[in-house]
Amino acid sequence: MIPATLLTNALLVGAVLFCLGLVGILTRRNLIVMFLSAELMLQGVSVTLVAWSRYHGDWGGQVLVVFVLTVAACEAAVALVFVLQAFARTGRLDASAWQALREENLPRVIDHGLPADDRVVPTWPHLSPAGVLPEGDDSRSLERDHV
Amino acid sequence: MDPVAATTLPIPGLLLAGSVAALAASLWLLLPKTSDTVNSRRLGFLLGAAALIGFAATGRSLGGVGEDAVFLTVAGIAVISGLATIVTRSPVYSAIWFAMALAGVSGVLLVLGAQFLGVATIVVYAGAILVMFLFVLMLAQPSGMAPYDRVSNEPMLAAAAGAVLLGLLTLSIGRLSAAEPPACCRLPSRAQAMAAAPTEGAGSEDDRSATLLAPATAGVESVDADEVAHLGAELFGRHLFAVEVAGVLLLVALVGSIAVVSRGEATETDHRRESR
Repeated sequence: MIPATLLTNALLVGAVLFCLGLVGILTRRNLIVMFLSAELMLQGVSVTLVAWSRYHGDWGGQVLVVFVLTVAACEAAVALVFVLQAFARTGRLDASAWQALREENLPRVIDHGLPADDRVVPTWPHLSPAGVLPEGDDSRSLERDHV
Repeated sequence: MDPVAATTLPIPGLLLAGSVAALAASLWLLLPKTSDTVNSRRLGFLLGAAALIGFAATGRSLGGVGEDAVFLTVAGIAVISGLATIVTRSPVYSAIWFAMALAGVSGVLLVLGAQFLGVATIVVYAGAILVMFLFVLMLAQPSGMAPYDRVSNEPMLAAAAGAVLLGLLTLSIGRLSAAEPPACCRLPSRAQAMAAAPTEGAGSEDDRSATLLAPATAGVESVDADEVAHLGAELFGRHLFAVEVAGVLLLVALVGSIAVVSRGEATETDHRRESR
């Protein structure tokens, strides 16, 4: 059993997490980030359920969270497969790549004024050369300086 | 039974309104936009910190647990990491921040006394689901930053909607904590009666938690050593059929995802047919 003050504070944390996930899933366009936002909403609901469960001394809330975990695992497995299929078809993880599925009376999303590729040029440390210069190999082309 | 809830101050409305406004402005400034500058993001961070402090003060006005350092720390980790999850440009960093948010949520669950779920969150989410996300990102992420990661849909409207929803939820939580005595006293006593029924030693435990020394220590002391055993008994006793259904669901998800992936081989030929 937890005191009522801990209950309200935990409910507040759950509400904050839920609202952050809601904003994320509404705004972000990357399919993976949208999915992470949905998981964040699930976490907020889990905190709320556990807080009520502990407050009432009833196990129902925690049992429900166990099933939330199970369904979230299933959901992630199936949905990530669909995300991979979508990527294979369009080459992008962009939700707007599927805007052909929108309603007929809705305007088309057109990206204008997209920022140019503003990747930060990495500043390498200046080292005095020592030894022989290794030959370049193809595996280096797989490296990314930016994730 | 519940002297703290009876003496709870109502939420200061000005503080809540300020926190909501700061949160909305901070989310709008931090979400990816075409007009981003370093200074606007810096201002967003400052406003976000102000909103966080405002909500922490609101939580403290709801009860004294705002002084519990452990709860405050893990809740802060969860909330800050959750904010960083949705505003980071790179999806890989987003996933890593989500792992931090999971660590914070797990800490909150442990403070609440749900030991099994705190550990299961780390194991299932951070250990399995998040790794799956990272695998998909490795398979599907184009090199460099994609342009669609640097814009977002309607950031202003969404930030305002989320902040207003959070304000409404906080108001209703505050109304809950300033609730009428019968509702808040009847439920714990019924739960205590249920808890006291099976075991003999539960009575002394209730006496200890009824003294309400400090909220944090009361919460820690009320953690029973058999928490996992009780949860397991409940899960495999009352909810046995649901466990079976969940097992079937896992099996169906496994078979379904494999079926969809192996049908994905056909999309290669579809591509070729389309391009021809």
